[in-house]
Amino acid sequence: MATTARKSVLVVTRHAHQGSALGRSALDAALVSATFELPVTLLFQGQGVLQLLPEQDCTEAGIRNLRKVIESLPLYDITPIYVDAAAAARYALQAELLPPQAQLISLDRQRQLLADHDHILGF
Amino acid sequence: MLPESAFDKDGFLRRLDAWTPAVAEQIAERENLALTPAHWEILQLLRDYYQRFDSSPAMRALVKYTAQQLGPEKGKSLYLLSLFPGSPAKLGSKIAGLPKPDNCL
Amino acid sequence: MPLHTLNKAPGHNAFSDCIERLAADDALVLLGDGVYAALATTAAASRLAASGATIYVLRTDALAAGVATRLMSEATVIDDAGFVALTEHWPQQMAWH
Repeated sequence: MATTARKSVLVVTRHAHQGSALGRSALDAALVSATFELPVTLLFQGQGVLQLLPEQDCTEAGIRNLRKVIESLPLYDITPIYVDAAAAARYALQAELLPPQAQLISLDRQRQLLADHDHILGF
Repeated sequence: MLPESAFDKDGFLRRLDAWTPAVAEQIAERENLALTPAHWEILQLLRDYYQRFDSSPAMRALVKYTAQQLGPEKGKSLYLLSLFPGSPAKLGSKIAGLPKPDNCL
Repeated sequence: MPLHTLNKAPGHNAFSDCIERLAADDALVLLGDGVYAALATTAAASRLAASGATIYVLRTDALAAGVATRLMSEATVIDDAGFVALTEHWPQQMAWH
C-alpha cells in the first residue's frame, strides 16, 4: 500500500461498449478522480479491451464514442492506460490499433497493479 | 434567434448541429459577454475538442489542450478565466454549443 | 431451423452456449455486444464460420462498436429493415442473451 497523502485509484473496466453503460461509467469515474487530483490508473481487462477498437461510428446508435473519450485521457494526466495483453490477442487487437498511450501487460503485472493501489473501482 | 426550447434548463444548446456563430452571440449576450476574436479562438478550439474526443473538456483538460494547440501563453487558467469568467470550461462549452461538461464539479 | 440472435461478446457463456447449438442451416443475427463475435481473425469468428450457419450483423451496432471495417468475410451486414424481414421469414427464433 502506498502511504502518500493522495490515495491512488485503480479503475478496472471489464465490459464491452454496447451492452451496458459500464464502460462509460468507468471512464467517468476515472475523469472525476482526476478532477480531484487523485493519481488514477486505468486497466482494460477481458471484454473491456473492446472499448479500444478504433473507427467507432456512433452517430446512428446515438451513444458515445468511447475510443474518442479514451484518447482525451492524457489531457487529464491519466497515462499510460494498461491493457490486458491476453484479451487484446483474443480479440485481434494488435498494438497498432490501440491508442498511442496503451501498454499491453501480462496477468502478473495486472496482479501487481491491483496490489499497488489504495482504492480499486471495478466496472 | 433560436427559441427557448432549443436550450436545456441550464441554458445549454440541446442539439450540437443547431449551433451557428449567431447562436453563439445569442448565448453570449445572455451571459453578458461580448465576443472578441480571442473568444472565438477558444470557441473554435472547444468545438474541435468535442469532434476529436466526443466529450466536453473539464477545466484541467481545457488548459492542457489550449496549451498544446495555441501555445503555453494561452494555455493558462488565468487567460481562460479572463475570457470566460467563473468557469471557463462550462461557460465556453455553453457558448460553443456543446453539452454541459460531464465532470464539471 | 431457428433464427438465432446473440447480444453478448465472446467470453460470455451466451456465446459458447449459442455456438455449440448452431446448426449449418440456421441463421444467426449478431447485435449489441454480439457483433464483436464477427471480428475477423479471432477464434470466435472461426467458430462461427465453421458452424456453417448464415451470419448476419446488425449495421448500427457494428458501426458503433468499431467492427464494421474489420468483419469476417462470411458475415452479411443488415439494417433494421433487413432484421425485421428475417424475423418474418423464420418462424422459430432463439435469443441468446
